[in-house]
Amino acid sequence: MMMPKENYKNRIELLQGTLDMLILQTLQWGEQHGYAISQAIRAHSGDVLQVETGSLYPALHRLERQKWVKSEWKQTESNQRAKYYRITAAGKEQLMQNRNRWEQMVAAIGGVLATVPDAE
Amino acid sequence: MRWLQKKSELDAEIEAHMRMAEAERVECGESPEQARREAEREFGNVALVKDVAREAWGWMWLERLVQDLKYALRQLRKSPTFASTVIATLALGIAAPTAMFTIVDRVMLRPLPYKDAGRLVEIKDWSSDVSTHYFGHTPYLDLEEWRRWSKSFESISFYTQANGRNFLEGKTGTEIINFYNVSTNLFSVLGVVPQLGRDFRSEKDGFAKSGDASSIVLSDTAWRLMFGGDPSILGKSVKVNGVPYVVVGIMPRGFAFPFQPKAPQVWTIVQLGDKDSGRTDATPGYEVIGRLKKGVSQAQATAELKALQVQVAKGYADAEVREQRSTIWMNPYSDSLVDSDMQRALMMLLAASALLWLIACVNTTNLLLARASARQREIAVRGALGAGHWRIVQQFVVEGLLLSTGGSLIGLGMALLSIKLFAYGIKQHMVMPVPIAPDIRIMLLLLVLTIITALLSSIWPAWMAAHAPVEPALKQGGLQSGSAQKQHRLRGLLVVVEIALSLTLLVGCGLLLRTIYALRHVPLGFRTDHIVVANLQIPSYKFKGENMTSNLYLPLLERVKHLPGVQAAGLMSEVPLGNTFNVILNLNGDTTGKNAGKDISAQLNAGSPGLQKVFGFKMLAGRFFNEEDTPTSQPVLIVNRAFAKLYSPDQQDMSKVVGMDFWHISGDKRTKIIGVLDDMHQKTIADASMPEVEASITQLTPGSGVYQPLETIAMDIALRTNRDLQSIIPELREVLRQADPALAGSNFTTMDQVVEDSYGSQQLAAHLLEIFGGSALLLCVAGLYGLLAYIVSQRTRELGVRLALGAQRCNLLWMVMRQAGVLLLIGVFIGLALAIASGRLVRSYLYGVEAHDAWTLGCVAATLFVVGMAAAYLPARRAANVDPMEALRAE
Repeated sequence: MMMPKENYKNRIELLQGTLDMLILQTLQWGEQHGYAISQAIRAHSGDVLQVETGSLYPALHRLERQKWVKSEWKQTESNQRAKYYRITAAGKEQLMQNRNRWEQMVAAIGGVLATVPDAE
Repeated sequence: MRWLQKKSELDAEIEAHMRMAEAERVECGESPEQARREAEREFGNVALVKDVAREAWGWMWLERLVQDLKYALRQLRKSPTFASTVIATLALGIAAPTAMFTIVDRVMLRPLPYKDAGRLVEIKDWSSDVSTHYFGHTPYLDLEEWRRWSKSFESISFYTQANGRNFLEGKTGTEIINFYNVSTNLFSVLGVVPQLGRDFRSEKDGFAKSGDASSIVLSDTAWRLMFGGDPSILGKSVKVNGVPYVVVGIMPRGFAFPFQPKAPQVWTIVQLGDKDSGRTDATPGYEVIGRLKKGVSQAQATAELKALQVQVAKGYADAEVREQRSTIWMNPYSDSLVDSDMQRALMMLLAASALLWLIACVNTTNLLLARASARQREIAVRGALGAGHWRIVQQFVVEGLLLSTGGSLIGLGMALLSIKLFAYGIKQHMVMPVPIAPDIRIMLLLLVLTIITALLSSIWPAWMAAHAPVEPALKQGGLQSGSAQKQHRLRGLLVVVEIALSLTLLVGCGLLLRTIYALRHVPLGFRTDHIVVANLQIPSYKFKGENMTSNLYLPLLERVKHLPGVQAAGLMSEVPLGNTFNVILNLNGDTTGKNAGKDISAQLNAGSPGLQKVFGFKMLAGRFFNEEDTPTSQPVLIVNRAFAKLYSPDQQDMSKVVGMDFWHISGDKRTKIIGVLDDMHQKTIADASMPEVEASITQLTPGSGVYQPLETIAMDIALRTNRDLQSIIPELREVLRQADPALAGSNFTTMDQVVEDSYGSQQLAAHLLEIFGGSALLLCVAGLYGLLAYIVSQRTRELGVRLALGAQRCNLLWMVMRQAGVLLLIGVFIGLALAIASGRLVRSYLYGVEAHDAWTLGCVAATLFVVGMAAAYLPARRAANVDPMEALRAE
């Protein structure tokens, strides 16, 4: 399947903190390698969120530096070597915090958007 | 390295990602090549991704630095002439201050080997009237009063050097030593403890009257030299001048007091006698050194002692002597070690070397600027690709550091080499107790110098390159656009600065050279060619009670005269300009015949009749000594012109002094003055001649008043021979050894060398300044040439157009020469102003020439101008030979 070109409009620039949160969430369900993570995010978001690989790998290395994920070289099903990432306990903590913050943000923005102007 | 491993892991990870993306696409039906292309396109900029990912690791700055380093190395290797020019320039500029600083450090900054040496001061009796020549030795009674009453000192000690030459008998032979009589508390005042054995003090408050008279303390040098460092020497007896002493202690290595000895030192306790119980002119005097109490300043102590001395001086019976000792003079001990003359000279040379360094830096900046503008396009491309300003600046600074490091390594080598080359000259004028080699402080200085040089030279080009606008440089033909006008002016300014600084250095050099010339042409009053001089230290203790004239000197002289090739030989207490020994004669007015009431103070010397044939002294009147002067005939004296001028009965005719009666030198007969020598210089050529009196050695007997100082301490043999020094020395040494074994170790030299050595440090300074000045000239000319060559190459198109429009070739030549001329004129003008302003610094060093001597200034300025114009001729000719067709073609 060819990548539809109009997806360009739908590529949402993901903020750095948000990307971290999505990666950590994806890793909640078990360890994955970089390609799988980007595919998972795309799939779960209904093809809306396409993570730029230019942001993915730096983000993964940053997370590793912060010790929120751990990496390991393993074999994939097709017998290729790939680097698998797994979330750590500290990472889980961080994910929780990020989620809380996100929910607060959503509630706040929702509050503003839901304001109905007083009828004149 | 882990880092490299991580790097390759990242590469593998991304490669794996790409393959998986590819595989998925192939599954979806694309062909493998298309899949690959699409996967790569989707991925984006692989290199950028890798970079950003690596950045997350945090060591990017190091990686960038290494990158810059590698790139700089590559660039420099591609342009070897540029690199070698810059490195050579920097090497020159860094070598000079390094070498000078090493010398200054050794001579002036070296710490003294005493505890808390800053609190040690020397104290002297002084006269309130500074015009009297009083040497400031203090009698015992005075210093005891100071010790008793003064509250500013922790303790005071005193010392004196034993008279005459002293010889220590050791296992390896008899050697000359410096022998000191000291108070028992001297070592504790200095705060140093012997490494073996004990100090002199037998009780806590020992000062002068306690302590074992026959005990002696050796210095480490004497111990190692004479006794092979054998610790069992402690407690044994050794002989100094034939007198036995018991060794009680050995001082640590590196300890010396007084600080700059010429021979190994030993110390014994001063023996106070009856003579010390008085206060007259004849009382023996001592040098006093004291340790200030903590918190007491030298000014406070001086004020206290000055007040005290007023009381103490009342103890002097003679009014004139009282006047001479009516106050005191105090000085930190460390200040007395380097005479201010030498200090000033060293500071001046240090300043000159710093000037050379500055010139080298300016030159390097110029070269780097030129290079930066040649690389404009490359820098613009970098900027367009996203390099930040700091990144570009960093690149340049790294390059500068690389060049600077190379330059300083070579410069260090040059500095060490030059110190070795000049070691002989340096040792003449400064006594350096340790060999001259670099140590941690020099290395530190070198490091700082390297970094500062790099920053200074490369910051400006770097900054300019980084802030240059990107688009003009990328345009076609941008290299020859007029945007470089401002840069040309900047570089011209730098060249002007170089010229000015070089001129200053060269003027200093020129002045010193004229000084040397003047010194060399001072008429000496005697011949110096083909004279061999042997400098003897006399072990007089072996000849006690004998008549040394008849037993030692005259036979020795006979034997020397009979050596093959010796045309004439003579003895003299000290050869002129010898600076190894002198005696001063002070007579009170009532002992001279006709000049009753006039005090006489003159240098005293002794000579044998043969001296006239050796030196060829010029006589103003009368005659020299000859064979008729024997111990039984009329005692005679010769004086010099300065003496005759002062003491002649007739001021107009100095020869009237001949025939004057003088005081007794032997027995009851009065002495006659029989001749007047023309003036000779005694100490240095620059100093005027002092009054001198000479007695004939043949007439001196142990009964003469002057026998002891003139014959028993030192004697020089001078002989005229056509043989060269090396061949005659062994024979001389053998003759001396037969006379007495201790004499075999004497020093041999030639009269020419003695005169050379007496020129003082002007010679050394002149050589150094010659080198500095020459290097400055070289750098300056190279800088000018470089700038003009560059300008011409930048303007080839313009020059082609001019030629095509009808300009003559000589017009173009003149244009370039004129540009050079303007730069030179401005530089020379500023340089002259600088040179005149700094003339004050060198004034004290000059002889026979003024600091702003117009002739020197003019010559140097003209030389610099001419050389500069000559250097400009080459680029000018190249400009004139531009082929218009070549120049006008598109690049």
